[in-house]
Amino acid sequence: MSTEIGHGSFLRRIAINVGAGFVPGMNAAVMGAATAAAKMGWETVGIRDGFEGLLCPERYPDGGLVNIDRQLLENLDPSGGGILGQAARVDPFHVRRVKDDMVEELDLSDLLLKRLNEDKIDALISVIGGRGIGIFHKLHRKGLNTVCIPRSLENDIAATAVSFGFNTALSVTIDMLDKARQAAKSARKIAVVEVLGGQAGWLALQAGIAVCADVVLIPELPCDLRRVAARLKEKMTAGRRYGLVVVSEGATFVNAPQASEKPSSLKASLSPLATGDNSEHVIQRSGQAAETVASQLQLLLAEETFPLVIGPWVRGGTPTAVDRQLGIAYGAGAVRAITSGQFGVMMSFAPPDIKYVPLTEALNKVRTVPQDCEFMKIAQSIGICLGREI
Amino acid sequence: MSNKSSTPAALTGVVLNIQRYCSHDGPGIRTIVFLKGCSLRCKWCGNPESIAMKPELSYDPRKCTGKKACGLCLKAPFPEGAFFVPAGAAVDKVKVNWHLACDCDATHAALCPTGALEMFGKRMTVDEVLSEVEKDESIYRSTGGGMTLSGGEVMLQPDFTAALLKGAHERGINTAIETACNAPWANIEKVLPHVDTMLHDHKLTVSERHKKWTGAGNERILANFKKAYETFPNVDFIARTPLIPGVNADEEHIRSVLAFIKPYKNVRDYELLPYHRFGLGKYELLGEVYELDDYKTPSAEVVAHLQAIIDESFGRGSNQVV
Repeated sequence: MSTEIGHGSFLRRIAINVGAGFVPGMNAAVMGAATAAAKMGWETVGIRDGFEGLLCPERYPDGGLVNIDRQLLENLDPSGGGILGQAARVDPFHVRRVKDDMVEELDLSDLLLKRLNEDKIDALISVIGGRGIGIFHKLHRKGLNTVCIPRSLENDIAATAVSFGFNTALSVTIDMLDKARQAAKSARKIAVVEVLGGQAGWLALQAGIAVCADVVLIPELPCDLRRVAARLKEKMTAGRRYGLVVVSEGATFVNAPQASEKPSSLKASLSPLATGDNSEHVIQRSGQAAETVASQLQLLLAEETFPLVIGPWVRGGTPTAVDRQLGIAYGAGAVRAITSGQFGVMMSFAPPDIKYVPLTEALNKVRTVPQDCEFMKIAQSIGICLGREI
Repeated sequence: MSNKSSTPAALTGVVLNIQRYCSHDGPGIRTIVFLKGCSLRCKWCGNPESIAMKPELSYDPRKCTGKKACGLCLKAPFPEGAFFVPAGAAVDKVKVNWHLACDCDATHAALCPTGALEMFGKRMTVDEVLSEVEKDESIYRSTGGGMTLSGGEVMLQPDFTAALLKGAHERGINTAIETACNAPWANIEKVLPHVDTMLHDHKLTVSERHKKWTGAGNERILANFKKAYETFPNVDFIARTPLIPGVNADEEHIRSVLAFIKPYKNVRDYELLPYHRFGLGKYELLGEVYELDDYKTPSAEVVAHLQAIIDESFGRGSNQVV
């Protein structure tokens, strides 16, 4: 489906911005897009801090837009990540504002489209995570010419085999797990390491295979900790005095013990809809999975365990060669989509091709580890316990 | 937000909930009326459903019967993509894309046969609220209780709030409000003539920190408190602090609040509310992100130590500051 483009018969000016959530090497995507656009004779501008540069230009002494010209491109480090900045929330439909000390959320989507039009920006390339897909789908329906680049440390965005940032997260996680193994070995304890993955266990599974972990627990397979304890016991009685358990932050458990809710004086001053922090609707908190697994295994095994959380450590550092290449390819590919008049699309890596797919293909979907996934079979074949039969 | 009307009884406001038989939030057994709309965004907020002024959709998956048995929300008039069942999901339950579902209103919620979709908040008249409150009049009389208005921020619906309080007084019902006073003085001035007890939050005393944790500075709040103490000597004021470790659970904060309130004899007490994560589940019902998820509740030792400072300041008990 091709789209009529405004401001004359050809595109002259495109913008690029970055959604909430940082991954290493974000500049690579900016560089790929701006370089390909420059080759077409187009101008590229970057929007600072998500949409803030457009919605609140007065906050920026040098302007809310960054002109990404040839000179800037010459000096841009593709392994860097900060040229456009970041915003904690990138949702123009719910922008938090403070006026006369009153905080409120406003729908500034119309203002956003107006500003893009005033700045003669024909199309927008956005590097976004899974939560942003719904927002950009809605913006596209409102008339924004948008091409999205999928970014996910957990590789949980549907309709692409690999999201930008995953390979670096995997590499850092493997490095950290190696260190955790050393610590466990020297202390003769069981390290329980929580890695990113609220809904999808790719990071835990692939990193766990790379370090030959003893156990890998992922959200897709609710695990039985008694089974895990039995497997670890087998290994430890055979003279191996340590263990390495990798657990996704969204791992779930069968027969999990339920802690009782403690009364609090504060509850009385809350509405009756208030729920306790042990209810079934508790949002996953960082470290909770590692703590649960470590304490339960210690109880079941009578062996010392220690929980570790990798969490935000994977957001820093240098991107891997794979991510750097993927970022540039996604950026350049987004320009190709614009050239073809394809909007409301997301870049997708379908090896060996870089292509674009409608945003609706990724909307409301999570790229989870399928039950018949080859990685699961590989894990089992090298003796990794997945917490239950597959 | 309150609708103007010729008679105060017909005036309407947005009410989140009415909770009967409460023993906190004012003297005796009380009925608490929760109003919607807040002008702060405290990162530890335990009542996220009270933040937005307008009624908003909530989804409780426990009540959803899924696509096979129902599936009504998967088609028009619900917004495309707002509700979905993930392919290959083990459990047949609808999930929500909040970026799209936030456009739904009460007409959409009414279509859900199981009540999984509900609206948090509804518009009620003063008479409707008061007739609910009046049901426990005899209990108020025997326990010294009454009606407490809470939120949200009650000062954001000043006409409705004032009419509720005035109506309660006319019925002989004791009144209390819970407020952070982050509103123009004109609103507060309208409400306070009808208040017996005002429970008010001293969240943080340093404005910069107040802004960091709640989204707004506290200059106006503190000025409102002072003016309220001075202008309404017959109101019983009770200061409160929601105690959050790493934010304000320290001696310095408690002592600076005491220094602020002690010159005023009508500030009768200072209460501590140890933080608890009661709001977490509700954030999921609303699709919000809980911002302060890694914070712990304050330890019993810290609470006891800070309480002892307050008790000593108010000259009561044998607690020693340790």
